[in-house]
Amino acid sequence: MKISGTNTLALAPEEAYRRMQDPVVLAACMPGCESLETIGEDEYRMKMKLAMASLSGAFEGKVRITDRTPAGFRLIVEGTGKLGFMKGEGLLTFSQSGDGTEVAYEGDVQVGGTIAAVGQRLIDATAKMMIKRFFEKLAA
Amino acid sequence: MATPSITKLEPFIGKRIRRKEDPRLITGTATYVDDLQLPGMHFAVVVRSPHGAARIKSVDIAAAAAMKGVAMVLTGRDVADLACVPCGASLPGLRVPEHRLLAQDRVYYVGHPVAVVVATDRYIAKDAAEAVEVDYEVLQAVADPEKALAPGAPAVHPQWPDNTAFTFHQEGGDIEKAFAEADVVVKQRITSQRLIPSPLETRGCVAQWHAAEKSLTLHTSTQVPHLVRSLLAQMLGLDENRVRVVAPEVGGGFGCKLNLYAEEALTSHVAMKLGKPIKWIESRRENFLTTIHGRGHVDYYEVAAKKDGTILGIKVKIIQDLGSYHQLLGPAIPTLSVLMIPGLYRAKSMCADVVGVFTNCVPTDAYRGAGRPEATHGIERMVDILAAELKMDPAELRLKNFVRNEEFPFPTATGLIYDTGDYAAPLRKAMETVNYTELRKQQADARKHGKLMGIGMSTYGEICAFGPSPATPAGGWESATVKIEPSGKVTVMTGVSPHGQGEETTFSQITADHLGVPFEDVLVQHGDTAIVQYGIGTFGSRATAVGGPALYYAIQELIIKIKKFGAMLLESDDVSYANGQCTCAKTGKSVSIKEIAGAAYRAMKLPANTEPGLVATYFWEPTNFTFPFGAHIMVAEVDPGTGAIDIKRYVAIDDCGNLINPLVVDGQVHGGVAQGLGQALWEQAVYDDNAQLVSGEFMDYTMPRAHMMPWIESGHTITPTPVNPLGVKGVGEAGTIGASPAAVSAVVDALSPLGVRHIDMPMTPEKIWRLILSKTTGSNA
Amino acid sequence: MIPQQFEYSAPKSLAEALALIADGGKPLSGGMSLIPMMKLRLAAPDRVVDLARIAELSYIREQAGSIHIGATTTHHEVESSAVIRAKCPLLAETASFIGDVQVRNLGTIGGSVAHADPSADYPAALQALEAKIVIKGAASERTVSADDFFVDTFTTALEPGEIVTEVIVPVEAASTGTSYQKLLQPASGFAIVGVAARIQKSGGKITLARVGVTGLSNRAFRAAATEQALTSGTAVQAAADVVAQAIDANSDLYASAEFRAHLAAVYAARAIDAAIRRTS
Ligand SMILES: Cc1cc2nc3c(=O)[nH]c(=O)nc-3n(C[C@H](O)[C@H](O)[C@H](O)COP(=O)(O)OP(=O)(O)OC[C@H]3O[C@@H](n4cnc5c(N)ncnc54)[C@H](O)[C@@H]3O)c2cc1C
Repeated sequence: MKISGTNTLALAPEEAYRRMQDPVVLAACMPGCESLETIGEDEYRMKMKLAMASLSGAFEGKVRITDRTPAGFRLIVEGTGKLGFMKGEGLLTFSQSGDGTEVAYEGDVQVGGTIAAVGQRLIDATAKMMIKRFFEKLAA
Repeated sequence: MATPSITKLEPFIGKRIRRKEDPRLITGTATYVDDLQLPGMHFAVVVRSPHGAARIKSVDIAAAAAMKGVAMVLTGRDVADLACVPCGASLPGLRVPEHRLLAQDRVYYVGHPVAVVVATDRYIAKDAAEAVEVDYEVLQAVADPEKALAPGAPAVHPQWPDNTAFTFHQEGGDIEKAFAEADVVVKQRITSQRLIPSPLETRGCVAQWHAAEKSLTLHTSTQVPHLVRSLLAQMLGLDENRVRVVAPEVGGGFGCKLNLYAEEALTSHVAMKLGKPIKWIESRRENFLTTIHGRGHVDYYEVAAKKDGTILGIKVKIIQDLGSYHQLLGPAIPTLSVLMIPGLYRAKSMCADVVGVFTNCVPTDAYRGAGRPEATHGIERMVDILAAELKMDPAELRLKNFVRNEEFPFPTATGLIYDTGDYAAPLRKAMETVNYTELRKQQADARKHGKLMGIGMSTYGEICAFGPSPATPAGGWESATVKIEPSGKVTVMTGVSPHGQGEETTFSQITADHLGVPFEDVLVQHGDTAIVQYGIGTFGSRATAVGGPALYYAIQELIIKIKKFGAMLLESDDVSYANGQCTCAKTGKSVSIKEIAGAAYRAMKLPANTEPGLVATYFWEPTNFTFPFGAHIMVAEVDPGTGAIDIKRYVAIDDCGNLINPLVVDGQVHGGVAQGLGQALWEQAVYDDNAQLVSGEFMDYTMPRAHMMPWIESGHTITPTPVNPLGVKGVGEAGTIGASPAAVSAVVDALSPLGVRHIDMPMTPEKIWRLILSKTTGSNA
Repeated sequence: MIPQQFEYSAPKSLAEALALIADGGKPLSGGMSLIPMMKLRLAAPDRVVDLARIAELSYIREQAGSIHIGATTTHHEVESSAVIRAKCPLLAETASFIGDVQVRNLGTIGGSVAHADPSADYPAALQALEAKIVIKGAASERTVSADDFFVDTFTTALEPGEIVTEVIVPVEAASTGTSYQKLLQPASGFAIVGVAARIQKSGGKITLARVGVTGLSNRAFRAAATEQALTSGTAVQAAADVVAQAIDANSDLYASAEFRAHLAAVYAARAIDAAIRRTS
């Protein structure tokens, strides 16, 4: 499923750009993230717990940053758990917008296993919510 | 011969008799596989791939095997030496992938069995299954058959990079000439989407190994117990007569239980290894993922015709999505489509090219109609499109092209011989029922008021009564045994395996009339290979049309013997048998079947060259298929604001020959129409680009339910077939075949003022809304 | 379809239930949403606290111009309640649209609002009715407006340990006309889009317009722009056309965001028209 959107942060572009690559910040902002541990350059092992409605499940996976340019980078989050697996990939670009920064994202969400089969009507809404929460925390 | 002195019993054939099997079904007292409880029984759960395509790097069973209550965990390596799941379809050049019971080093579809866990109860087994750690290297998958054929597509099976399982060509008549002589040629791409058969009861089985006797009993939810026995014995290396397969109450099949599945063999294998009875019950989610799907066609049609509407020839290219493996009949299904391409029409030439395509999806196979609905849908859509092109009334065009009554038996361009028919009769009757002329006037009026009202029709033909043995992969005959017990009660053992079709009732009716015994005295047994002589099973609308005649002939044989005993008891050579009585022509004296049974078993005295007892068995081989037909008309209104479709009327006129029990026939038609409308309007198995089945449960996959159905006005014309003595043709699949084209026809007709000629199924509101939008604003929103 | 092991308790009193829930227990009401998730192992609570036996949570009571509905009141009870049908017909009508008979016989209003499925029917009506949700914890009690309660997809104002105990809706003035209209997903019955309209007229003019929308986006919401347009005399269709304005519409297999937004306008117009017809 394709995702795209923009979010405006009350941060200078350089600050937004820096924060979104800082593992400590990422760990704090990614919904459900329990730990993020460096395993290589721009590569982290992640543990997260997804809890939404009555659904809950642990995922383990990786967060990676690739394709870094001055304008942005690609953020790849993938995880596997008993509920299935997911992979989200987004190209983030940062641009000045007034005093703040507009972060544009464009990418793809893939979901597999039980959640894909039984949750398709909710995947879009859920992905949007997770992205929204991420930016809310980032701005805070 | 003198008339018998007793009054003739009222016939049961033709009566709307309520089904004998229903009380146990509606009171919940029937015994399904999952109702079986055996001492020491263990439970199996299968670990399945969450990926459409992946290499298995490792499988770690340690944690699962260590759990309390877990008795056994098997992975691919443990079953590598066992035989493969069989494919019964034989086509020249068919590529048959090795279909092991558990994945070896790769998985090919979501749901692919990777390991099996056996524990003392199903909760522990499920917990342990979750503890099996499989490390996958995910590979690119392909789920769309057209994409799979494109160069550079991921190879489902690496050894066959073109993803082509087979190609098949069939031609009849002079197709080149037909197209050269045509005034018009209409073309259309027509799809018949993947469907999930969804019987109420999912699959399931219980296997029990009797080590001392070296024999295996398998209770399984199947349509073909004898076939399962033969195949299973072969796979497991057991003597066929030491394998007993029982189909207990079976909660629907629709073709998806016309198979031998990996789990049946796996459960049996585990039972043999562990020496414990093993139960495996498929969850609904597994049923969606791993029981065969139906349809999966992309067809490209071309029809050549004269200006006056005469159809000259039909060309079709069929792309059949086969999924990743072959189940029992998968690759053969589209060849049935080919046979049915000419429909009810006289078209003298045809040409079909089929390509069977591997995709990373669960295999497709027979699903109610199996190949014929796809073809009927195609040809019926094409006839409508031709009518639109020629600005002819679609009914008129059909009437013009029907095979004429005097042309039967009619050889088709595909090599079939249509047995008999009066193809115009059901269409005329359906048109009368809806008052077609008046309805068209109403439509013209409705259109003036901006309403999108449509009148759709289909006139379908079917191949039923599978079938002459040379035309089927495993024998097309059927068997019946009729026993008159010493008390005079009658036991019928049929080789068909009813699972909702009501043969316990209809076969009792046949027996009651032809043997002249009370309906209540007849018990119909089926489904247990230890009780019933070998039989073929229930599929392809064959049970009554092939199993019925077998029963009829067994009864005739038995009557010969009854008369011998009757003659002995009446001390006369001139006896007749009717209504359960043997009567002496001269004296008018008679003896009842009960007295005769008593004498036959007591055997104080025997007629010459006659053994004791009253049992007859008959194996009947049909000489041809039967070809039922019919006409459906649907009236619908489309809501232009939402694209929603409102069915205003649904008329189904079917000709399945003589009706044994019109109530049962109506039930078959209603259920069939529901499934046909399900395909037309709602059902769709959707795999995403990564071959994940995203319509993975009933919250997304729209199974039609009673409240969604229109009132079905069903009726019949009766043209008995000469193929069998009962004149019956089969009706199990008719409704499904007739319904989908009628529904699409109605909606297309509603939108035809906008220039719409075809809509692919399912006709969801959004699809209709977008179509209206694109036609009215030219935008492709 | 085999859940994980869990502990089950069925307390008789609310206090007992709240104590168990404060201790980490998962409330179970009609089970129509929770049990399927457990069977698929998408949810695996260690302890389930069944609210069904708590008599003090099941009631429909009229009191000082409002109707108070206990959390475990089933959809069927709401749909068929004489009081609700007569005095808050929008809620009864909405309940009658939920799922199928079996779901309505078991599913409850408390479970539905707490679950906050973005396609659930009640939330649209509760928004239009400006309903209040009563929330209780072992040591807390508060009442929030429907608008504050439905936060996001499956997200409500409930804090851990809290449950919904009651939903409060107004007794309608006699002159009010209401209607709920939806296009349903035929498989589940859930709303692709559902619109609840509530209209009061006086002297031929619309004096009050409340329009609740569900299914369209992450949460049920009140369509303020449409409401304003209606009270300022805009024609119904034009007012309905702005219902999805500035809304980020959901999309799924059955309906894209664009189609949903279009449907919202169609159903808003239908619901408003029907509500207007029912005024007086
Ligand atoms: C086939 C089907 C079709 C459906 N169709 C529709 C439809 O068309 N429209 C629609 O609106 N809904 C539909 N539903 C959902 C249905 O209305 C459910 O009843 C509702 O979503 C949940 O209510 P419940 O009482 O069953 O809650 P449960 O399933 O028991 O609980 C749901 C969630 O809420 C929590 N919870 C329950 N009660 C409380 C409480 N008092 N306080 C705090 N938390 C609580 C539970 O812990 C759980 O997380 C459908 C459901 C099914 C199975």
